[in-house]
Amino acid sequence: MTVKNILITGSSRGLGKELAEHFLHQGYNVYGCSRSNGKIEHNNYHHFELDVSSATQVTEFFFILRKKIKHLDAVINNAGIASMNAFALTPPETFKKIFDINVQGTFLFCQKALGLLKRAKNPRIINTTTVAVPLQLEGESIYAASKSAVEMLTQIIAKEYGGFGITCNAIGPSPIETNLIKGVPKDKIAKIIEQQSIKKMATPADVINLVSFFLKPESSMISGQIIYLGGISK
Amino acid sequence: MERLEILELVLNAIEMTNNMREEDQQIPRESTTELYGNNGHLDSMGLVAFLIDVEESLLDEDLQITLSDERAMSQSKSPFRNVDTLVCYIDMLVKELPL
Repeated sequence: MTVKNILITGSSRGLGKELAEHFLHQGYNVYGCSRSNGKIEHNNYHHFELDVSSATQVTEFFFILRKKIKHLDAVINNAGIASMNAFALTPPETFKKIFDINVQGTFLFCQKALGLLKRAKNPRIINTTTVAVPLQLEGESIYAASKSAVEMLTQIIAKEYGGFGITCNAIGPSPIETNLIKGVPKDKIAKIIEQQSIKKMATPADVINLVSFFLKPESSMISGQIIYLGGISK
Repeated sequence: MERLEILELVLNAIEMTNNMREEDQQIPRESTTELYGNNGHLDSMGLVAFLIDVEESLLDEDLQITLSDERAMSQSKSPFRNVDTLVCYIDMLVKELPL
C-alpha cells in the first residue's frame, strides 16, 4: 500500500501541530512548515522553515518537495494569523500582514501543490476559515475579510480543480484554546459561544474529525463547502 | 537541455494528456499540433492541466520553470499556440536559467 503524503502549513504549534501528530499516528508521511523550527520528532515528519506568504520561498519549497515525493494526497492550509483591532485603528501594516499570510499563503500553496496533487488518487485541499466571517465579529474586520477571501478562493478552486479530481473545502473552527485566541478577552469568547447552536468550546479533535471526513475517499463528491463548527452557518 | 529533448518532453506530455481523453479526442503527437486558440485541441482548463504536466516533467529534469506567468500571457502571440511555439518558448526559458 502506498504511504499517503499530507502537507500541513503552520505545523509547529496549536492546531497545525495537533493535526500533524494525528496524521503521523495514522501512518501518513507529514510535511510540515512554519516560520519557526519544527517541534515534532518523528521519522515520518519532515519540517521546513519558511514564510508561507513568500512566493519565492514557497516555490523553492515545492521544488525540494517534488524531489522527495511523487504525489501529494492532501494540503491543509492551516497557517494563519489573527489580530483584534477596531477597524478605525487598524494600521495598514496589520492589514497587509494578515492578508499576506492568510490569503496569499493559501493562494500559493493551493497553486504550487497542483502538480503533486494531480498525481494522487483522492487529492484534497482543506483551507481554514473562521466563525468571525458568518458572525461578522466586531474588532475582527481585517481577519474576517481575509478569511472571506479564503472562502471564495476555496469555492472557485473547487470548481477549477474539480476536473482533476481534487476537492477543496474549508473548515471554520469555533473558538478553540490555541495561540490564535490567547489575546481575545474571555467575555468575548463567551459571547461568541453564546451565538453557537452548540454552546461550548471546540477542541482540536473536532477539527481533526472534520478533516478526516474530507480526506475519506468516499468524500469525493464533497467540494466547495465551508463548514463551521458549533452549529454556526451563514 | 537541447531543443530536441524539449520537443520529446512536450510530446510525452501530450501522450499523458491523451491517456485521459476519449479515443475521438486524441491530440496528434506532432510538432505542428495546434494546442490552444483557433483550431487548438485544448480548452483553457485543458491547457492548464497540460502545462502542469510539462512543468512537472521539466522538474524531473531539475529545471524549475513557470510556463503560465505574466510574461507568457503578455506575449503578443501566445507561446501556447502549437507544439513548436511552446518548445521555442521553453527553450528560451531554459537558456535564461542560471548555470
